[in-house]
Amino acid sequence: MSSRTPVVIAPTAFRQQLLGTIPRLRRYARSLVFESAAADDLVQTALERALAHWHQFDQRRDILVWVLSIAHNAYMDDRRRHAHTTSVEPLDLQDGPDALAAHAPDPGLRMDLMAALAKLSVEQREPLLLVTLEQLSYAECAEVLRIPIGTVMSRVSRGRAALRALLDGHAPAPSGTRGLRRVV
Amino acid sequence: MNATTFQELPLDERLSAWLDDELAPDQRAEVDTWLRDHAEDAARVRLWAADRDALRARLEPAAGESVPTRLEQVVWSHAPDTATAGWMRWAAAAAIFVLGGALGAGATWRLLEETRVPVAGARWEQRAIAAHAVYVPEVRHPVEVSVHGATPQESRAQEEHLVRWLTRRIDRPVKLFDLRSHGYELVGGRLLPDTQGAWAQLMYQKSGETSPQRVTVYLRKPDSATPAAFRYERHGELGMFYWVEGSTGYALVGAMPRDELMALAESIYRQIPN
Repeated sequence: MSSRTPVVIAPTAFRQQLLGTIPRLRRYARSLVFESAAADDLVQTALERALAHWHQFDQRRDILVWVLSIAHNAYMDDRRRHAHTTSVEPLDLQDGPDALAAHAPDPGLRMDLMAALAKLSVEQREPLLLVTLEQLSYAECAEVLRIPIGTVMSRVSRGRAALRALLDGHAPAPSGTRGLRRVV
Repeated sequence: MNATTFQELPLDERLSAWLDDELAPDQRAEVDTWLRDHAEDAARVRLWAADRDALRARLEPAAGESVPTRLEQVVWSHAPDTATAGWMRWAAAAAIFVLGGALGAGATWRLLEETRVPVAGARWEQRAIAAHAVYVPEVRHPVEVSVHGATPQESRAQEEHLVRWLTRRIDRPVKLFDLRSHGYELVGGRLLPDTQGAWAQLMYQKSGETSPQRVTVYLRKPDSATPAAFRYERHGELGMFYWVEGSTGYALVGAMPRDELMALAESIYRQIPN
Protein backbone atom coordinates (compact mmCIF):
# COMPACT_ATOMS: atom_id res chain seq x y z
CA MET A 1 0.00 0.00 0.00
CA SER A 2 1.27 3.50 -0.76
CA SER A 3 2.71 5.66 1.98
CA ARG A 4 0.43 8.48 0.93
CA THR A 5 -2.54 7.39 3.05
CA PRO A 6 -5.56 7.57 0.84
CA VAL A 7 -8.95 7.18 2.50
CA VAL A 8 -9.39 3.51 1.80
CA ILE A 9 -12.51 2.06 3.30
CA ALA A 10 -12.35 -1.07 5.38
CA PRO A 11 -12.66 -4.31 3.40
CA THR A 12 -15.47 -6.78 3.93
CA ALA A 13 -13.14 -9.35 5.49
CA PHE A 14 -12.16 -6.87 8.18
CA ARG A 15 -15.79 -5.94 8.83
CA GLN A 16 -16.63 -9.60 9.34
CA GLN A 17 -13.88 -9.91 11.91
CA LEU A 18 -15.05 -6.76 13.63
CA LEU A 19 -18.62 -8.02 13.73
CA GLY A 20 -17.40 -11.09 15.60
CA THR A 21 -16.00 -8.95 18.42
CA ILE A 22 -19.28 -7.15 19.18
CA PRO A 23 -20.72 -9.58 21.78
CA ARG A 24 -17.61 -9.46 23.96
CA LEU A 25 -17.10 -5.78 23.34
CA ARG A 26 -20.62 -5.16 24.60
CA ARG A 27 -20.03 -7.22 27.69
CA TYR A 28 -16.84 -5.35 28.50
CA ALA A 29 -18.51 -1.98 27.90
CA ARG A 30 -21.38 -3.01 30.17
CA SER A 31 -18.95 -3.87 32.93
CA LEU A 32 -17.38 -0.41 32.59
CA VAL A 33 -20.41 1.85 32.31
CA PHE A 34 -23.16 -0.49 33.62
CA GLU A 35 -26.08 1.15 31.87
CA SER A 36 -26.78 -0.74 28.65
CA ALA A 37 -27.61 2.18 26.33
CA ALA A 38 -24.49 4.06 27.44
CA ALA A 39 -22.48 0.86 27.04
CA ASP A 40 -23.69 0.43 23.46
CA ASP A 41 -22.76 4.04 22.73
CA LEU A 42 -19.25 3.20 23.86
CA VAL A 43 -19.27 0.09 21.66
CA GLN A 44 -20.41 2.19 18.73
CA THR A 45 -17.58 4.67 19.24
CA ALA A 46 -15.07 1.82 19.44
CA LEU A 47 -16.43 0.22 16.25
CA GLU A 48 -16.30 3.52 14.38
CA ARG A 49 -12.72 4.12 15.45
CA ALA A 50 -11.73 0.57 14.53
CA LEU A 51 -13.22 1.07 11.07
CA ALA A 52 -11.46 4.39 10.64
CA HIS A 53 -8.11 2.83 11.62
CA TRP A 54 -8.57 -0.63 10.15
CA HIS A 55 -5.31 -0.34 8.21
CA GLN A 56 -3.43 -0.13 11.53
CA PHE A 57 -4.63 -3.55 12.58
CA ASP A 58 -1.95 -6.20 12.25
CA GLN A 59 -3.64 -9.41 11.05
CA ARG A 60 -1.23 -11.52 13.10
CA ARG A 61 -2.73 -10.11 16.28
CA ASP A 62 -5.94 -10.97 18.09
CA ILE A 63 -8.58 -8.53 16.87
CA LEU A 64 -10.44 -8.70 20.19
CA VAL A 65 -7.41 -7.43 22.11
CA TRP A 66 -7.01 -4.64 19.57
CA VAL A 67 -10.68 -3.63 19.75
CA LEU A 68 -10.76 -3.80 23.56
CA SER A 69 -7.80 -1.47 23.57
CA ILE A 70 -9.72 0.98 21.36
CA ALA A 71 -12.74 0.71 23.68
CA HIS A 72 -10.50 1.41 26.67
CA ASN A 73 -9.16 4.57 25.00
CA ALA A 74 -12.66 5.69 24.07
CA TYR A 75 -13.79 5.14 27.64
CA MET A 76 -10.88 7.14 29.05
CA ASP A 77 -11.56 9.97 26.57
CA ASP A 78 -15.17 9.95 27.66
CA ARG A 79 -14.24 10.12 31.32
CA ARG A 80 -11.94 13.03 30.69
CA ARG A 81 -14.63 14.84 28.75
CA HIS A 82 -17.18 14.35 31.51
CA ALA A 83 -14.80 14.73 34.40
CA HIS A 84 -16.90 17.51 35.89
CA THR A 85 -20.32 16.01 35.46
CA THR A 86 -21.64 13.54 37.97
CA SER A 87 -21.72 9.93 36.94
CA VAL A 88 -24.69 7.64 37.40
CA GLU A 89 -24.34 5.31 40.33
CA PRO A 90 -25.33 1.74 39.56
CA LEU A 91 -27.47 1.74 42.69
CA ASP A 92 -29.65 4.43 41.14
CA LEU A 93 -30.26 2.15 38.21
CA GLN A 94 -31.84 -0.60 40.25
CA ASP A 95 -35.26 0.13 38.82
CA GLY A 96 -33.94 1.33 35.51
CA PRO A 97 -33.82 -0.51 32.22
CA ASP A 98 -30.99 -2.81 33.18
CA ALA A 99 -31.30 -5.73 30.80
CA LEU A 100 -29.16 -7.87 33.04
CA ALA A 101 -31.47 -7.54 36.01
CA ALA A 102 -33.73 -10.15 34.46
CA HIS A 103 -31.29 -12.87 35.48
CA ALA A 104 -31.02 -11.89 39.09
CA PRO A 105 -31.38 -14.89 41.36
CA ASP A 106 -30.79 -12.58 44.31
CA PRO A 107 -31.13 -8.93 43.34
CA GLY A 108 -29.82 -7.61 46.65
CA LEU A 109 -26.65 -9.62 46.54
CA ARG A 110 -25.97 -8.91 42.89
CA MET A 111 -26.49 -5.22 43.24
CA ASP A 112 -23.95 -5.33 46.03
CA LEU A 113 -21.47 -6.92 43.68
CA MET A 114 -22.05 -4.37 40.93
CA ALA A 115 -22.06 -1.49 43.39
CA ALA A 116 -18.77 -2.73 44.83
CA LEU A 117 -17.32 -3.07 41.33
CA ALA A 118 -18.39 0.49 40.55
CA LYS A 119 -16.63 1.75 43.66
CA LEU A 120 -13.26 0.46 42.54
CA SER A 121 -10.97 2.98 40.94
CA VAL A 122 -10.91 2.64 37.17
CA GLU A 123 -7.19 1.80 37.42
CA GLN A 124 -8.08 -1.33 39.38
CA ARG A 125 -11.44 -2.12 37.80
CA GLU A 126 -10.25 -2.42 34.22
CA PRO A 127 -7.38 -4.87 34.79
CA LEU A 128 -9.56 -6.92 37.15
CA LEU A 129 -12.34 -7.18 34.57
CA LEU A 130 -10.02 -7.91 31.67
CA VAL A 131 -8.36 -10.73 33.57
CA THR A 132 -11.33 -12.26 35.37
CA LEU A 133 -14.29 -11.58 33.09
CA GLU A 134 -12.60 -11.37 29.68
CA GLN A 135 -10.01 -13.96 30.72
CA LEU A 136 -7.13 -12.17 29.05
CA SER A 137 -3.60 -13.09 30.05
CA TYR A 138 -1.61 -10.47 31.97
CA ALA A 139 0.36 -9.84 28.77
CA GLU A 140 -2.80 -9.20 26.74
CA CYS A 141 -4.22 -7.03 29.50
CA ALA A 142 -0.98 -5.02 29.51
CA GLU A 143 -1.34 -4.58 25.76
CA VAL A 144 -4.95 -3.35 26.03
CA LEU A 145 -4.19 -0.85 28.79
CA ARG A 146 -0.66 0.01 27.60
CA ILE A 147 0.86 -0.55 31.03
CA PRO A 148 3.67 -2.91 32.09
CA ILE A 149 2.82 -6.51 33.04
CA GLY A 150 4.07 -5.94 36.59
CA THR A 151 1.56 -3.12 36.93
CA VAL A 152 -1.23 -5.39 35.69
CA MET A 153 -0.22 -7.94 38.30
CA SER A 154 -0.29 -5.50 41.20
CA ARG A 155 -3.50 -3.77 40.07
CA VAL A 156 -5.36 -7.06 39.65
CA SER A 157 -4.23 -8.13 43.08
CA ARG A 158 -5.21 -4.83 44.71
CA GLY A 159 -8.48 -4.71 42.79
CA ARG A 160 -9.36 -8.15 44.07
CA ALA A 161 -8.60 -7.28 47.66
CA ALA A 162 -10.50 -3.98 47.38
CA LEU A 163 -13.56 -5.67 45.87
CA ARG A 164 -13.56 -8.27 48.63
CA ALA A 165 -13.20 -5.59 51.32
CA LEU A 166 -16.18 -3.72 49.85
CA LEU A 167 -18.27 -6.89 49.73
CA ASP A 168 -17.33 -7.55 53.35
CA GLY A 169 -18.58 -4.08 54.19
CA HIS A 170 -15.18 -2.46 54.66
CA ALA A 171 -13.97 0.55 52.76
CA PRO A 172 -10.85 -0.42 50.85
CA ALA A 173 -7.65 1.48 51.43
CA PRO A 174 -7.39 4.42 49.05
CA SER A 175 -6.12 3.27 45.69
CA GLY A 176 -2.48 3.91 45.10
CA THR A 177 -1.46 2.98 48.62
CA ARG A 178 0.41 -0.25 48.98
CA GLY A 179 -0.76 -2.59 51.74
CA LEU A 180 -4.46 -3.16 51.89
CA ARG A 181 -6.02 -4.07 55.16
CA ARG A 182 -4.80 -7.54 55.96
CA VAL A 183 -7.63 -9.93 56.68
CA VAL A 184 -6.38 -12.08 59.51
CA MET B 1 8.62 -13.06 35.82
CA ASN B 2 12.04 -14.01 36.93
CA ALA B 3 12.47 -16.39 39.79
CA THR B 4 14.78 -14.33 41.98
CA THR B 5 12.35 -11.44 42.28
CA PHE B 6 9.28 -13.64 42.68
CA GLN B 7 9.67 -14.03 46.44
CA GLU B 8 10.10 -10.28 46.78
CA LEU B 9 6.67 -9.59 45.36
CA PRO B 10 3.89 -8.87 47.87
CA LEU B 11 2.21 -12.09 48.96
CA ASP B 12 -1.16 -11.00 47.57
CA GLU B 13 0.34 -10.49 44.12
CA ARG B 14 1.82 -13.96 44.15
CA LEU B 15 -1.47 -15.49 45.28
CA SER B 16 -3.44 -13.46 42.77
CA ALA B 17 -1.14 -14.46 39.89
CA TRP B 18 -1.45 -18.06 41.06
CA LEU B 19 -5.24 -17.81 40.82
CA ASP B 20 -4.94 -16.37 37.30
CA ASP B 21 -2.61 -19.19 36.28
CA GLU B 22 0.13 -16.73 35.39
CA LEU B 23 2.98 -18.49 37.18
CA ALA B 24 5.82 -20.64 35.94
CA PRO B 25 5.60 -24.26 37.18
CA ASP B 26 8.19 -23.78 39.96
CA GLN B 27 6.52 -20.59 41.20
CA ARG B 28 3.19 -22.32 41.05
CA ALA B 29 4.51 -25.23 43.12
CA GLU B 30 5.87 -22.75 45.66
CA VAL B 31 2.47 -21.11 46.06
CA ASP B 32 0.77 -24.53 46.21
CA THR B 33 2.96 -25.38 49.19
CA TRP B 34 2.34 -22.01 50.80
CA LEU B 35 -1.43 -22.42 50.48
CA ARG B 36 -1.28 -25.89 51.98
CA ASP B 37 0.46 -24.50 55.04
CA HIS B 38 -1.53 -21.26 55.39
CA ALA B 39 -5.23 -21.94 55.71
CA GLU B 40 -6.15 -18.27 56.07
CA ASP B 41 -4.44 -17.33 52.82
CA ALA B 42 -6.06 -20.30 51.11
CA ALA B 43 -9.44 -19.10 52.37
CA ARG B 44 -8.74 -15.62 51.02
CA VAL B 45 -7.86 -17.01 47.59
CA ARG B 46 -11.07 -19.07 47.62
CA LEU B 47 -13.04 -15.88 48.24
CA TRP B 48 -11.30 -14.19 45.32
CA ALA B 49 -12.18 -17.15 43.12
CA ALA B 50 -15.79 -16.95 44.28
CA ASP B 51 -15.85 -13.22 43.50
CA ARG B 52 -14.43 -13.93 40.06
CA ASP B 53 -17.14 -16.55 39.43
CA ALA B 54 -19.80 -14.14 40.66
CA LEU B 55 -18.56 -11.41 38.32
CA ARG B 56 -18.62 -13.81 35.41
CA ALA B 57 -22.08 -15.10 36.27
CA ARG B 58 -23.36 -11.54 36.59
CA LEU B 59 -21.84 -10.16 33.41
CA GLU B 60 -21.54 -13.12 31.09
CA PRO B 61 -25.13 -12.93 29.79
CA ALA B 62 -24.32 -9.56 28.20
CA ALA B 63 -22.17 -11.36 25.62
CA GLY B 64 -25.00 -13.76 24.77
CA GLU B 65 -27.55 -11.09 23.91
CA SER B 66 -28.39 -10.61 20.28
CA VAL B 67 -26.46 -7.76 18.75
CA PRO B 68 -28.56 -4.64 18.12
CA THR B 69 -29.07 -3.84 14.45
CA ARG B 70 -27.74 -0.37 15.11
CA LEU B 71 -24.28 -1.75 15.93
CA GLU B 72 -24.26 -4.12 12.98
CA GLN B 73 -25.14 -1.20 10.77
CA VAL B 74 -22.19 0.75 12.12
CA VAL B 75 -19.90 -2.04 10.99
CA TRP B 76 -21.48 -2.14 7.54
CA SER B 77 -21.75 1.61 7.08
CA HIS B 78 -19.85 2.95 4.09
CA ALA B 79 -19.39 -0.67 3.08
CA PRO B 80 -17.10 -1.29 0.14
CA ASP B 81 -19.79 -1.21 -2.53
CA THR B 82 -17.61 1.20 -4.46
CA ALA B 83 -14.75 -1.18 -4.39
CA THR B 84 -11.29 0.09 -5.12
CA ALA B 85 -8.62 -2.18 -6.48
CA GLY B 86 -6.58 -1.47 -3.34
CA TRP B 87 -8.88 -3.05 -0.80
CA MET B 88 -9.66 -5.98 -3.04
CA ARG B 89 -5.99 -6.85 -3.16
CA TRP B 90 -5.87 -6.51 0.62
CA ALA B 91 -8.86 -8.77 1.05
CA ALA B 92 -7.38 -11.39 -1.22
CA ALA B 93 -4.09 -11.26 0.62
CA ALA B 94 -5.61 -11.38 4.07
CA ALA B 95 -7.26 -14.68 3.18
CA ILE B 96 -9.02 -14.96 6.49
CA PHE B 97 -12.66 -14.59 5.73
CA VAL B 98 -12.29 -13.78 2.09
CA LEU B 99 -15.88 -13.62 1.11
CA GLY B 100 -15.55 -12.76 -2.53
CA GLY B 101 -14.39 -9.58 -4.17
CA ALA B 102 -16.76 -7.00 -5.49
CA LEU B 103 -19.90 -7.53 -3.45
CA GLY B 104 -22.54 -4.89 -3.82
CA ALA B 105 -24.24 -3.49 -0.75
CA GLY B 106 -27.26 -5.75 -1.26
CA ALA B 107 -25.16 -8.86 -1.40
CA THR B 108 -23.30 -7.73 1.70
CA TRP B 109 -26.52 -7.57 3.65
CA ARG B 110 -27.60 -11.05 2.58
CA LEU B 111 -24.20 -12.30 3.60
CA LEU B 112 -24.61 -10.71 6.98
CA GLU B 113 -27.86 -12.57 7.52
CA GLU B 114 -26.23 -15.88 6.72
CA THR B 115 -23.23 -15.40 8.93
CA ARG B 116 -25.08 -13.86 11.79
CA VAL B 117 -25.56 -16.93 13.93
CA PRO B 118 -21.97 -18.17 14.11
CA VAL B 119 -20.67 -14.61 14.46
CA ALA B 120 -22.84 -13.84 17.45
CA GLY B 121 -22.05 -17.28 18.91
CA ALA B 122 -25.72 -17.59 19.65
CA ARG B 123 -26.15 -21.33 19.34
CA TRP B 124 -26.31 -22.98 22.72
CA GLU B 125 -24.32 -26.02 21.59
CA GLN B 126 -21.45 -23.67 20.74
CA ARG B 127 -21.70 -22.08 24.14
CA ALA B 128 -21.47 -25.56 25.67
CA ILE B 129 -18.04 -25.85 24.05
CA ALA B 130 -17.05 -22.48 25.51
CA ALA B 131 -18.30 -23.41 28.98
CA HIS B 132 -16.40 -26.68 28.82
CA ALA B 133 -13.21 -24.85 27.94
CA VAL B 134 -13.69 -22.41 30.82
CA TYR B 135 -14.49 -24.80 33.65
CA VAL B 136 -12.73 -28.05 32.84
CA PRO B 137 -9.21 -26.68 33.51
CA GLU B 138 -10.30 -25.38 36.92
CA VAL B 139 -8.31 -27.15 39.60
CA ARG B 140 -9.99 -25.85 42.70
CA HIS B 141 -13.43 -24.80 41.56
CA PRO B 142 -14.47 -27.05 38.70
CA VAL B 143 -18.05 -27.10 39.99
CA GLU B 144 -20.36 -24.92 42.06
CA VAL B 145 -21.93 -27.82 43.93
CA SER B 146 -19.69 -30.80 44.55
CA VAL B 147 -21.15 -34.24 45.18
CA HIS B 148 -18.08 -35.27 47.10
CA GLY B 149 -18.91 -35.96 50.73
CA ALA B 150 -16.90 -37.34 53.63
CA THR B 151 -19.25 -40.32 53.91
CA PRO B 152 -21.46 -42.11 51.36
CA GLN B 153 -24.51 -40.64 53.12
CA GLU B 154 -23.12 -37.16 52.81
CA SER B 155 -22.36 -37.69 49.12
CA ARG B 156 -25.88 -38.94 48.52
CA ALA B 157 -27.32 -35.90 50.29
CA GLN B 158 -25.15 -33.65 48.10
CA GLU B 159 -26.37 -35.43 44.97
CA GLU B 160 -29.98 -34.97 46.01
CA HIS B 161 -29.35 -31.32 46.72
CA LEU B 162 -27.72 -30.88 43.29
CA VAL B 163 -30.65 -32.52 41.50
CA ARG B 164 -33.24 -30.43 43.34
CA TRP B 165 -31.34 -27.20 42.82
CA LEU B 166 -30.65 -27.66 39.11
CA THR B 167 -34.15 -28.99 38.38
CA ARG B 168 -35.66 -25.93 39.99
CA ARG B 169 -33.33 -23.49 38.28
CA ILE B 170 -33.44 -24.83 34.74
CA ASP B 171 -37.11 -25.69 35.04
CA ARG B 172 -36.86 -29.23 33.71
CA PRO B 173 -35.97 -32.56 35.28
CA VAL B 174 -32.26 -33.06 35.88
CA LYS B 175 -30.87 -36.54 36.22
CA LEU B 176 -27.34 -37.25 37.35
CA PHE B 177 -26.21 -39.79 34.77
CA ASP B 178 -24.16 -42.70 35.98
CA LEU B 179 -21.04 -43.05 33.81
CA ARG B 180 -19.06 -45.22 36.23
CA SER B 181 -19.15 -48.19 33.87
CA HIS B 182 -16.99 -46.03 31.59
CA GLY B 183 -14.72 -45.02 34.45
CA TYR B 184 -16.19 -41.54 34.91
CA GLU B 185 -17.22 -40.28 38.35
CA LEU B 186 -19.55 -37.33 38.82
CA VAL B 187 -17.68 -34.30 40.24
CA GLY B 188 -20.72 -32.03 40.59
CA GLY B 189 -22.54 -29.35 38.70
CA ARG B 190 -22.98 -25.69 38.10
CA LEU B 191 -25.57 -23.34 36.78
CA LEU B 192 -24.72 -21.31 33.70
CA PRO B 193 -26.38 -18.01 32.88
CA ASP B 194 -27.91 -17.32 29.52
CA THR B 195 -30.33 -14.87 28.00
CA GLN B 196 -32.70 -17.75 27.23
CA GLY B 197 -32.70 -18.92 30.85
CA ALA B 198 -30.26 -20.87 32.94
CA TRP B 199 -28.73 -24.19 31.98
CA ALA B 200 -26.99 -26.90 33.90
CA GLN B 201 -23.48 -28.22 33.51
CA LEU B 202 -22.55 -31.59 35.02
CA MET B 203 -18.89 -32.50 35.22
CA TYR B 204 -17.46 -36.00 35.25
CA GLN B 205 -13.90 -37.09 35.58
CA LYS B 206 -11.92 -40.26 35.08
CA SER B 207 -10.11 -40.88 38.34
CA GLY B 208 -6.69 -42.40 38.88
CA GLU B 209 -4.85 -40.21 36.41
CA THR B 210 -2.44 -37.38 37.16
CA SER B 211 -4.37 -34.87 35.10
CA PRO B 212 -7.89 -36.25 35.17
CA GLN B 213 -9.80 -36.51 31.91
CA ARG B 214 -13.01 -34.54 32.25
CA VAL B 215 -16.21 -34.47 30.26
CA THR B 216 -19.16 -32.12 30.69
CA VAL B 217 -22.86 -32.69 30.11
CA TYR B 218 -25.33 -29.87 29.47
CA LEU B 219 -29.05 -29.75 30.00
CA ARG B 220 -31.28 -26.88 29.01
CA LYS B 221 -34.31 -25.67 27.14
CA PRO B 222 -33.35 -26.23 23.49
CA ASP B 223 -33.37 -23.43 20.94
CA SER B 224 -36.18 -23.91 18.47
CA ALA B 225 -33.55 -24.28 15.75
CA THR B 226 -31.78 -27.20 17.41
CA PRO B 227 -32.38 -30.40 15.45
CA ALA B 228 -33.74 -33.30 17.49
CA ALA B 229 -31.38 -35.78 15.85
CA PHE B 230 -28.06 -36.81 17.32
CA ARG B 231 -25.41 -34.41 16.01
CA TYR B 232 -21.66 -34.51 16.26
CA GLU B 233 -19.30 -31.55 15.94
CA ARG B 234 -15.60 -31.16 16.41
CA HIS B 235 -13.92 -27.92 17.52
CA GLY B 236 -10.17 -28.38 17.68
CA GLU B 237 -9.48 -31.08 20.20
CA LEU B 238 -12.99 -30.97 21.62
CA GLY B 239 -15.76 -33.19 20.35
CA MET B 240 -19.44 -32.64 21.06
CA PHE B 241 -22.60 -34.69 20.70
CA TYR B 242 -25.90 -32.89 21.09
CA TRP B 243 -29.51 -33.78 20.69
CA VAL B 244 -32.99 -32.97 21.91
CA GLU B 245 -35.11 -35.43 23.85
CA GLY B 246 -38.56 -34.43 25.05
CA SER B 247 -38.38 -30.81 26.18
CA THR B 248 -34.69 -30.86 27.01
CA GLY B 249 -31.61 -30.19 24.94
CA TYR B 250 -28.56 -32.28 25.84
CA ALA B 251 -24.92 -31.82 24.94
CA LEU B 252 -21.84 -33.82 25.84
CA VAL B 253 -18.38 -32.28 25.41
CA GLY B 254 -15.00 -33.94 25.83
CA ALA B 255 -11.48 -33.99 24.44
CA MET B 256 -11.47 -37.55 23.14
CA PRO B 257 -11.95 -39.53 19.94
CA ARG B 258 -15.42 -39.65 18.46
CA ASP B 259 -16.02 -43.34 19.27
CA GLU B 260 -15.19 -42.92 22.94
CA LEU B 261 -17.41 -39.86 23.25
CA MET B 262 -20.15 -41.67 21.35
CA ALA B 263 -20.13 -44.51 23.91
CA LEU B 264 -20.66 -41.97 26.71
CA ALA B 265 -23.39 -40.18 24.75
CA GLU B 266 -25.23 -43.45 24.21
CA SER B 267 -24.96 -44.32 27.87
CA ILE B 268 -26.48 -40.94 28.78
CA TYR B 269 -29.18 -41.31 26.16
CA ARG B 270 -30.23 -44.69 27.56
CA GLN B 271 -30.51 -43.21 31.06
CA ILE B 272 -32.82 -40.36 30.07
CA PRO B 273 -36.17 -41.10 31.67
CA ASN B 274 -39.05 -41.37 29.20
